[in-house]
Amino acid sequence: MKFKLLLPAIAAVIAIGILGFLLKMTQSVDSNLHRARLENIRAVDNLDIELNRMFTQTRASSLAGSAADRTKITQRLGKDLDALDKGPTALRGLNKDLDKKLDQFLDTIEAKFELGFDFEARNTLLNQGLVNNMDAVPFNSDAVLAAAPAAKQEMLKPLIMQLKTELLTLSVTPAPNNAGTIRDLISQMKAGTEAPSEAFTAAMESLNGNCEEIIQDKTEMLDKLSSFLGRPTGAQLQAVEQAYTAWYQGEVANANQYRVILVGYAALLLLILAWLGIRLRRSYGELDKANGKLVDANEHLEDQVEARTKDLSSALSDLRNSQAQLIQSEKMASLGQMVAGVAHEINTPLGYARSNASIVRTTLADIRDLCSAQDRALTLMTSADASDEEVANALSDADERRQLVNPTEVMGDLDNLLEDTDHGLVQIADLVSSLKDFSRVDRSRNDQFRVNDGIDTALKICQNQLKNRVEVIRQFGDLPEIECSPSKLNQVFLNLFTNAAQAISDTGKIFVHTSAEQNGVSIRIIDNGCGMTDEVRQRIFEPFYTTKPVGKGTGLGLSIVFRIIEEHGGTIDVHSVVGKGSEFTIRLPLKQQRPADNETAPSLAAA
Amino acid sequence: MTASTTAKARILFVDDEPRILTTMRMLFRSQYEVFFAESGQKALDLLKVQAVDVIVSDQRMPGMTGIELLRTARDLNPNAMRILLTGYSDLNAIIGSINEGEIFRFVNKPWSNEDLSVTVARAVAAARTSAALSAATADNIGAPAGPQPGVLVLDDDPSVPTKVQSILGSDYRVFGATTMEEAVNLMERERIGVVLSDTRVQDHPVISLIGTLKQHHPELVSVILTDRADAGQAIELINQGQIYRFITKPIHDNQCKITVNSALKQHERLSQNPELHKRYEVEATTTPPPTATTGTGKFLDRIRSLRSWVKRA
Repeated sequence: MKFKLLLPAIAAVIAIGILGFLLKMTQSVDSNLHRARLENIRAVDNLDIELNRMFTQTRASSLAGSAADRTKITQRLGKDLDALDKGPTALRGLNKDLDKKLDQFLDTIEAKFELGFDFEARNTLLNQGLVNNMDAVPFNSDAVLAAAPAAKQEMLKPLIMQLKTELLTLSVTPAPNNAGTIRDLISQMKAGTEAPSEAFTAAMESLNGNCEEIIQDKTEMLDKLSSFLGRPTGAQLQAVEQAYTAWYQGEVANANQYRVILVGYAALLLLILAWLGIRLRRSYGELDKANGKLVDANEHLEDQVEARTKDLSSALSDLRNSQAQLIQSEKMASLGQMVAGVAHEINTPLGYARSNASIVRTTLADIRDLCSAQDRALTLMTSADASDEEVANALSDADERRQLVNPTEVMGDLDNLLEDTDHGLVQIADLVSSLKDFSRVDRSRNDQFRVNDGIDTALKICQNQLKNRVEVIRQFGDLPEIECSPSKLNQVFLNLFTNAAQAISDTGKIFVHTSAEQNGVSIRIIDNGCGMTDEVRQRIFEPFYTTKPVGKGTGLGLSIVFRIIEEHGGTIDVHSVVGKGSEFTIRLPLKQQRPADNETAPSLAAA
Repeated sequence: MTASTTAKARILFVDDEPRILTTMRMLFRSQYEVFFAESGQKALDLLKVQAVDVIVSDQRMPGMTGIELLRTARDLNPNAMRILLTGYSDLNAIIGSINEGEIFRFVNKPWSNEDLSVTVARAVAAARTSAALSAATADNIGAPAGPQPGVLVLDDDPSVPTKVQSILGSDYRVFGATTMEEAVNLMERERIGVVLSDTRVQDHPVISLIGTLKQHHPELVSVILTDRADAGQAIELINQGQIYRFITKPIHDNQCKITVNSALKQHERLSQNPELHKRYEVEATTTPPPTATTGTGKFLDRIRSLRSWVKRA
């Protein structure tokens, strides 16, 4: 049962775990974060461009305010770069390629910052030098002009003008390409003057120096600027962005793959769910059907119970009837056995009494003949008319008859016969009286009863089974009369004596002991017969239990005994040893507990 | 009745009630030489030294029952006729007395002196006439003359003859009949030695048929095979039908075979020694068959007419 519940639970947990994992895998791509990262990258790019622009402008205008702006931009750029490196929108740690490119970019931009600072510092100085030189140009050019021969001054003036213009152009133009022109102009100025004066040469030299310094400064400035601008931050950031985008696309693809799996898995789960649902539905249907049957059965249950109850009660009454019949048949069987014994007991004295009577009658006929012969002889002898011959004949006839009859012997025989007959009749009368006592039909059912007398009667009834075979030893105590149903108790004694007699195979003894007890009497019937095993002893009072061969006993005798004793509120105990004998002990109370109303009716009828 | 021989016939009375013996002495002392025993054992002791013609015994006696006594007495003194005199006996005792004791009569207590005298006188006559013979012929039964006598099975159930035939084997001639008329028809046609019959056929008791058969054809041997055993009927059958054996259904193969064999031997013995017939004489039927229809009467006539045929055999 536990196992049956555990297995689906584990399966459900696993299914939910897989679902959670798949969901998490699809959720790993955070588009907001992605957008923030992209924005961050753009911001960095923009700021970088802004910075470049500013540096580019710086060259054009060496305005004082631009430095503060640059500082501000640098700060913002630094913050954004930090955000790239660490924090929620950081790109670090996503994959190696990206890390490498990010490192490269960060290194580059760091170097650019350094270049920027360097440029910043240098630029001020260069600018200062430039400005100074530019300021010195008019002065020196004037000095050149002044030093130059007058012929030449006209030729020099446009050159100087051009020079000034070129120099200005150089200094202002972001990417000037007129350094050659300037050098040409200087050369032209020099060349136009043969045998220049010392002053002119010196002034020329100074001017030349100024121009060279301006060109140099400008070149250095341009170099530094281009070096700064030439840092490949944009490209590298692009690479970073590309790498990130590639990673992101990979992530998205991954997530998509998981999403497909998730969809499949969800579909699978749905299928399983649907299957379970169908199964549930089906079992519900079966349950419903069963429930319907149950309800149906419930409705019919009462009828069935009623029918069953009717069957059972009819079976019970059948059983009771057949039990009553069996008890009756057992009674009849024991009655039959008793009758057999009693019939023999009665028929024997009856046989000889009847026969004797018949013999007496025939003998009496002879005696009557003798008497009449003697009477006739006597009459003839006393008669005067009779002749001697007649008298002699009569006398000889009488004598002949007397000899034939032999009165002395016959009288003795007759006495004996009559005595025997009398004895037989007394025996019959005794038996009949015992039978009457035994059945007690002429007595009330609940009567005062002398137990000892009942035992005597029962012993007389079964005399036929005991005679010359079993010695009965009576040891009767002085018993009070007890209230009971005498005929039933007689049956108890008869059954027990019959059993005892049957337990004794050849010759033996039955010991009957009675004694008064407090509020009752006890009767012990002990035989030295075959005894019985414990198994048999425990079952002897069960109805239908018998150890006799089939057809010999109904197995009801002792159960009837038990019932009768129970009805009388008494007890019956049995002890037995195989081969030694058995002992039945009956205890009966003096008074019956309840006056049995239904028992008085037949007693009245009997009275 | 005692005139035929010089010595008085000897009769042994056995009863555990001495007064019965007294009465018997009174009744029979003038005619017979009477002997008495108060128990079976004493009777046997006496029989060992004194042969008798008739034994009259009580059934219920302590120590040894009348049947036990008569069975032993039969071996000890086979010529003696055996009469059971008893106040009450259950069916088993009666069947035992028939099969084991082969008794002549069954007399109930109380008895009538006249009837008892007649019965005893008949027994004496039977014993006297067969006395010289029995010893000599007991083991000297010759081979059956002519064909083997048949066994007639009379039973309501037509399967019984088949069953009997199958038990006995094909050496025996078994004829089946389900009515008495059929039985008589068969007996007119066939030589029958043994009749194996139920107590009632077609709701008529067979006692009259068996009694008449025995009266007129003493060499016929009757065996009762029934499941409706009844003490009174059994007594009638022995007294009025001299049935040889009484066996109960269901049929036990061995018992049936032994019984039929023994009955056939008895038939041979009776056929060859008509002097023995007296030993199996039946009482005259005291009451005619209650439902003595014309049919039954006709049967009896026909049975009497069988005589000539039997004589031929």
